[in-house]
Amino acid sequence: MYTRLVGYTDKINQQLARYGVKFGIYKGGEFDERLFPFDAVPRIITLSNWEFLERGLIQRVDALNAYLRDIYNEANIIKDGIVPKHFAYASSGYLPQCEQIVPPQGVYSHISGIDLVEGKDDQWYVLEDNLRIPSGASYPLIARNLCRKCDAETFRKVPLIDNRDYGDQLREVIDAVSCGGITVVLTPGRFNSAFFEHSYLAERIGAVLAEPSELYVEDETLYYRDATRNVKVGAVYRRISDEYLDPLCFLPESLIGVPNLMGAYRAGNVAIINAPGNGAADDKGIYYFVPQMIKYYLGEEPLLKNAPTYLPYYDDDRTYVLEHAHELVIKDVAEAGGYGVVFGSDLSPERLEEIKQQIVAEPRRFIAQEVIDFKCLPTWIDGELVPRKADLRAFVLSGKRTSVWPSGLTRYAREAGSSVVNSSQGGGFKDTWVLSL
Amino acid sequence: MRILSYVFETSLAFSEPVSQHSFVLRCLPKPTNTQKVIDSQLYTDPRVALSEQIDGFGNRVVMGYCPQEHVSFDFYTTGVVMVETQNTDTTPAHPMYLQPSELTHLTAELVAWAQSVGAAALGVASSDAAATLAPEAIMEVAQTLCLSVHEHFAYVPGTTSVATTAADAFAAARGVCQDYAHVLIVLCRALGIPARYVTGLMVGEGATHAWVEVHDGLRWRGLDPTNNCVVGEDHLMFSTGRDFNDCPIERGVFRGNALQTQTVKASVGLDAGAVNAVTARLKMR
Repeated sequence: MYTRLVGYTDKINQQLARYGVKFGIYKGGEFDERLFPFDAVPRIITLSNWEFLERGLIQRVDALNAYLRDIYNEANIIKDGIVPKHFAYASSGYLPQCEQIVPPQGVYSHISGIDLVEGKDDQWYVLEDNLRIPSGASYPLIARNLCRKCDAETFRKVPLIDNRDYGDQLREVIDAVSCGGITVVLTPGRFNSAFFEHSYLAERIGAVLAEPSELYVEDETLYYRDATRNVKVGAVYRRISDEYLDPLCFLPESLIGVPNLMGAYRAGNVAIINAPGNGAADDKGIYYFVPQMIKYYLGEEPLLKNAPTYLPYYDDDRTYVLEHAHELVIKDVAEAGGYGVVFGSDLSPERLEEIKQQIVAEPRRFIAQEVIDFKCLPTWIDGELVPRKADLRAFVLSGKRTSVWPSGLTRYAREAGSSVVNSSQGGGFKDTWVLSL
Repeated sequence: MRILSYVFETSLAFSEPVSQHSFVLRCLPKPTNTQKVIDSQLYTDPRVALSEQIDGFGNRVVMGYCPQEHVSFDFYTTGVVMVETQNTDTTPAHPMYLQPSELTHLTAELVAWAQSVGAAALGVASSDAAATLAPEAIMEVAQTLCLSVHEHFAYVPGTTSVATTAADAFAAARGVCQDYAHVLIVLCRALGIPARYVTGLMVGEGATHAWVEVHDGLRWRGLDPTNNCVVGEDHLMFSTGRDFNDCPIERGVFRGNALQTQTVKASVGLDAGAVNAVTARLKMR
């Protein structure tokens, strides 16, 4: 199905490099930019498998949006004892500055990036929810485009759901929540490692690409400063993280924020995509409670499984974690992007003991998970097809309703046997094909 | 019940002209069950359009934007509140007031201090001690902590800054009302008593003052560790938050490489005639 395409691997990677398809990583305190290697062998998902996944993802994101609305307003899920208050409000992503704000249409997470793996038992497991600024949709978009250019024939033959309308879908979501006025994509600037994605998506959704200095707030309204006039902004797709968004509300030292943007937002005059404060729901600790949220808010049984997870905060779980630490994945709740994740089996006895002591001292800081034995995908490395572990970031869009982009970002581990597929750890990516039959 | 009139004036002078000045002010009295706001006015010079909102902590905030060049920025607020200590503020304690914040991190020293004082007072020494206590007992523990802070500190202006954490202030044992308040907040939270920071004015003080509110399970009650007293009819509340960072009187950003100097004048408890005279003078400008 993809044999011809694989022959174009180098050519496609050269084109990606020309576009500046890069990502930034921090290693040992140093910031580094890297190319994101593309593997032309796609992940292929059958239509029936996809339809199941789609239902599960919509359900999950609807529950997460309901949780965010609840936690910043009535907090019923706390009062009803489903999520302990110490967990909900100790999350570093919970921002009290966002208390009592209901965003336009009640949507908090407009673009959700849900990371999943397919287990060897053929079940999908959610590993992580990304509700802040999930990046990466542009990688498969741009790669698909290049693949089609190189090998149009394959795409005529394979019954594939077209994914090229991501920009239109995203624009529909933004229009549904816009408070009237233009849409801007707010980027920290061209030196940001994801700048190519910001400019690419702005073009795709037909929005103005704006830097912070081009925006200002007056009379609780956000304006874009043009050479000739100032234009009201109704929606901001921001690619700046919460703490830098508004120096008068969050970090005062932020130079990339827009002063009083939060005031315009609270007044209901601008939509911020995604809503500030969403970190309260995609925290590694809150993850544990998502299946219960689905039951609580939707009255449904969760379709997608979580990886079996233990919270050392609960006594029984802590006992189990301390006994089985050597075979579990231990995650530091405060860290993101593959950082603070250790496999018990990789640790020396001394290091394992240290971690156990940390868990006893600060039980709320950690979660532990069973290692999921997930499927490998064939990957073309050094002239041969080899199996590599791979995950899938699905992009779920919520506006008037919630839908799933029939594609996604498949990331694979560079080393054989490694289960760390996070791009910050040096892996590559694949296109994700959803078959229409 | 007592009627308090107040005038609060701040002048910011810039060494060079600044422009595109965005600001947020938190200097209007907060309406609560114990503090009825009869009247409050806010003026700025240069005069610009102001918008008022309620922030995530329930405070009144005023925002504005001054695009033109200016070398000074002044704001004045005057008003009248009715302090009604016979009423109670029964707003429930949000769990955020049990969590550490940037300026109120828990440290081993502070926890040990809270536990030893708590144990001596009522035999409470755990982080969820408050859950099992009656409101009066919680208040008793909080008052004992308040006294311990008052006795631990020497009031020495200029030794700490607005960025000093509770832990640093505690170690230095010197500071101003902000530091007293931060330390008391940490001590209360270490025993599971919800506590929050208060910015406001006090009769007899010529500048802003800071104190603490603790939640006794039923209601918020004010404690002033600087003066070691239960807050009564002398305190006028502007805003509350997890720590100082949530309730600054003024925050602003502007274009221009200028040094900034600030002058503050406050008076509370004036008679109505004096307030009217000040208001009339301000309106003339």
